[in-house]
Parts: sequence; C-alpha cells; structure tokens
Amino acid sequence: MQKNGHDAASVVRDTIYRATMALDDQKWDDWLNLCDEEFHYRISAFSPEINKDMIYLQGKRKDMEGLVKLLPKHNTDHSPLRRHTSVYTVEVADDMSSAEAVSSFVIYQNMLDGVNSHLDSGESRLFLVGKYYDKFKLEDGKAKFVNREVRLDNRRLDKGSHWPL
Amino acid sequence: MPARNHSQWLANPELKEGEWIDSRVYSDQEIFNDEMEKIFKRVWVPVCHESELPEPYDFRTTSIAGEPIIVSRGPDKEIRAFLNVCPHRGMLLERRPSGSFLEGQPSGNPKRITCMFHAWQFDMKGNCVYVAREKEGYQDRLCKENVGLRRLRCEVKFGGFVWVTLDDSPKVSLEEWAGEPFECLRESIDAEPLEVFHYHKAIIDTNYKLWHDTNSEFYHDFMHYHNRVTGFNDAYFARKNFAFKHGHVVVGTFEVNYENYEGFESRAELSFPHLPPNQWYMVDLFPGMNFNLRGSALRCDIVTPLGPDKVMIEFRGLGLKRDTPQEREIRINHHNSIWGPFGRNLHEDLIGVAGQGTTMRPHTEQRRILHGRQENQTIHDEVGMRHYYDEWGRWMNRLPNDPEKSWHERNPAEAAAAAE
Ligand code: FES
Ligand SMILES: [Fe+2]
Repeated sequence: MQKNGHDAASVVRDTIYRATMALDDQKWDDWLNLCDEEFHYRISAFSPEINKDMIYLQGKRKDMEGLVKLLPKHNTDHSPLRRHTSVYTVEVADDMSSAEAVSSFVIYQNMLDGVNSHLDSGESRLFLVGKYYDKFKLEDGKAKFVNREVRLDNRRLDKGSHWPL
Repeated sequence: MPARNHSQWLANPELKEGEWIDSRVYSDQEIFNDEMEKIFKRVWVPVCHESELPEPYDFRTTSIAGEPIIVSRGPDKEIRAFLNVCPHRGMLLERRPSGSFLEGQPSGNPKRITCMFHAWQFDMKGNCVYVAREKEGYQDRLCKENVGLRRLRCEVKFGGFVWVTLDDSPKVSLEEWAGEPFECLRESIDAEPLEVFHYHKAIIDTNYKLWHDTNSEFYHDFMHYHNRVTGFNDAYFARKNFAFKHGHVVVGTFEVNYENYEGFESRAELSFPHLPPNQWYMVDLFPGMNFNLRGSALRCDIVTPLGPDKVMIEFRGLGLKRDTPQEREIRINHHNSIWGPFGRNLHEDLIGVAGQGTTMRPHTEQRRILHGRQENQTIHDEVGMRHYYDEWGRWMNRLPNDPEKSWHERNPAEAAAAAE
C-alpha cells in the first residue's frame, strides 16, 4: 500500500481503539467527539429463532447524544462494561476520503452490582461477543465515525444495558 | 415506625388476608415443583408465533415445565405440536431452535422428522413412517403404526400465537381460558396477520412470579424515568385494572405523551388497526404471560420457570405482516427504545426483579411481601397481584400467606362447588 493509504489505515485503527477506551471509561462525550455529525449507530443481531435480522437499538448522532445525556436520570446496573477490540481489516477508499473497518470485540461486565455484590463484585463475566462494522469519513488527517454497526452474536442478553456498546 | 426487631419484622402486617403473601411462595423448591405439576403442566402456554414457522415443514422447538416440545407446520399448513422426544430410546428429535424439515438430514429423508440416533422417521402429523430394520428386530411384536409421537393440544389464536398445553383434557378451552381478557385487543391483533420482528431472552436469578408481578403492577413506574415523564398525568392515574376469571388481569388504556421524553416521538401514525393513537393496553395471563400493546408495537413476554430462583423470559416484538420496510423500522425503534435489551425500561425492570430474587433465595428467612395498595382498582392499586395469588392458591391448594395451609379448607364452599 502507498504511504498515504498506510497512514490513513493507522488513523482509522487508532480511532477505533480510542473509541474503545472512551466507551470503557463511560466518557460518552469523548466517544461522540470521534463521530461525525452524520453518525449513525445500530446494535443488530440475527435470530435463528425467528429467522430475522433484528435491530436492538439504533439512532443518529442526535439520538445518541440525547441517550447519554439522560443516563443520569435512569436506574442502571453499575457494573462497568469493558471490552477487547481487535481490528481485523481496514479498507481505505481510492480517493482517500472514506474508509471501512471490521473489528471483533468481547465485552466483559466487571461486576460491581452482580446478583449480590457481596459475592459477585470484582468478578468479570463475559457479557457480549460480536463485531464492529465501522465506516469513516477521512478529513485533515483524521478519521470520524459516520457509521457503527454493533453486530451481536448474543441473543441471550439477561439484564441488558442502558449504555452504548 | 422505627426499625424493627426480629419478631416485629416477622409479625404479620396490619393488612387483611390477601393483601400480603409469604416470601416462600417465591423461594421454596417444593412449592416450585408443585407449580410445575399443578399449574404449568395444565395451562395453555403461547410457545411461539405462527410467523416463526411461515412455510410448510418449518419447525420451532420449545419446552413447557421441562418437557421438550416441537411445533411444526404440515404440508396442509396446519401447525401441530408434539413432544420433542423419540419413542424409541428417548433421543431429542430436533436439536435446533428452528429450521425446516424440507431438507434431508444425515440420518434421514426430506419431509420427515428424523431421529438421528437410530433413524426412525415421522411425518408432519406425528405418524411413525419408518423404523430401521423393523421386521428384523421386532418381527410382528411391534410395528411402526403403534409408535407415533406424543401429540399435544395446539391452537393458533389471539394474534397468531401458537398455544400449547401438556394437558390432553384441559380444564377449559383456550377461548374460555383467555377470550375475555383478550377482548380489549382482539380487534387490533386479529384484524390482519402479525409478524415477529424482535426476539431475545433473559435468564434471571429470580422467581418467575416476580416477573409477572412487575408486569401486573404499575406502581413501579417510579423507577422508570421514561414512564414518569411520558405517563404521570390525570388520565394515567385514572387508568384501571380489570380482573378476569382464571387469574388474568387487564390494565386499561390511556394516552401516552411520548414527546415528553427528549428525542422520542408520538406513535400515533403507526397505531395497530382499530386502536386509537398512543393508547396502551396490557394483558397479564396467569401464570406468567404478558401481552403489551403500546400503540405501534405489540410485546409478548413468556416465562419458562427454571427453579424457584431462576427464570427464562423470552421477549418478542410484533408488527403487522404487511408493514413496508420503512414502517417496520419505525415500529422496531418504538419497541426497542423502551422495551429492547438496550432500551430505557426493560433494563430497569430486570434489575428490579433480580434484586428481589437476591433477597428471596431458597432458604432465606420467610418474609411478608405486601400486595395491599387499594386505590379503587386504578393504576397503582395492587389488585392485579391479589387477584393472581387468589387463583394461585386455588390451583396449588396452598394459602399464599401461609403456604403450608390448604386453600380448600379456607374456602370450603368454593372447593365443594369445584369438586362437583
Ligand atoms: S432413540 Fe430415536 S431412533 Fe433410537
Ligand atoms: Fe416496568
């Protein structure tokens, strides 16, 4: 790959990992700052039970801003969600204005509440497994998310979550 | 009252019988075993929706009270239910949650339910049509005509749900069982075919009745920010609970103001047929099924109790089969922004019942659980739970507030009438 394309791919990778850390730390504004005004977010899964592709949650940037803004008003499980992300592929468009990436993720719930915090706090439990399908706008040496599809393997979701994944 | 000592804590509350129950109802293994035999093996359970098996030879698998079940659609389009158990040596006939028998399997032919173990085959009516080396092994002592599957009573009803009972002679027909509570929704859910667009499940360390209780009381709207801002108004507080025969409850409707939650929109445009805009009906069926129509989307919860302190809840969302892709997407957003696994309310409800489960583990001290709010049957009146546990006592022959005692002895007149 040419020098520029290589640089662009590493900027994309870097942006994905920055998003991972912002989400891990519940720094929602930092996460949204990595996203373009056109950003669209969606959590999806395929259900063999009903033989359908499903959307578990979706929203534009404005919807996601509203969602995170109202989080303090909602009762929520306190256990942090932390993830391992591995970027598998990055494809930079020929005109260098956009890119697509596929990453896999594993989200752990680091128990604070658990079922009984006296017993469970401190333990990490596997919560979700899936892939991120991301699209980026490339501008001024920066990559901004325009699209993130969080594609889940899980359909058993137990208590679920209020947070972006 | 200040904090109480042990005997004060365990004393009966100053409420009437029926206005509180004993927590062992939620935590005792023996009571749970009894519930499986006396209730779950005898009631009608909506196990899936017909749209999950749209084509001939499609199937779904499920279970009731631990008994594995297969539901399949025949070439005649009829949906039938059987135990998912091979009559030979008890192999599970179908291991997948769904699929089609049109495809052949490694052990057997297309259009057959084949047991992979020794290749016995069954048709879509449950007849055994093939026993491998039948004559060689059984001579004339046993023939395939006599080793069909165990068929189960099965009906497609109330919006296209597939209802199954393990009881060959149920106390009442499905129509008598649930027709009256469904009356408020019937026009809306039976006007045209529905389709499931959402499925997920939760396994929660709590008793199944605690989930049903939450679905039967709205006092807990205090924990839902969304419901407080979109709901709490005069019409909301006038919303009524209606009790029906067999322990069912319906929560009457009112108009929800979705716009009061920042970023949310009215659901008026995609209301179900014959449903006035933004209305919200809730049907709670004994012993643990819930149908919830919020204007544009129907939600259905089905519980599969796994133990006194463990339950699986399956969540479905439904729209109209004829939805355009755009309409469907809007319905999905309406459904999932509140009720999805990452929606605003469901997570809170599940935290609530999980917390109750934590304090009511098997062998924890028995306590009094209060069901005594009386507000003229309106929305925060706990009549739904009182009605449910009265029915529960009848089926279990146990008093909910003293489960070692006989319900029939306490209610001799009704017991005598039922015996006739
Ligand atoms: S157990 Fe099914 S064929 Fe033997
Ligand atoms: Fe709720």
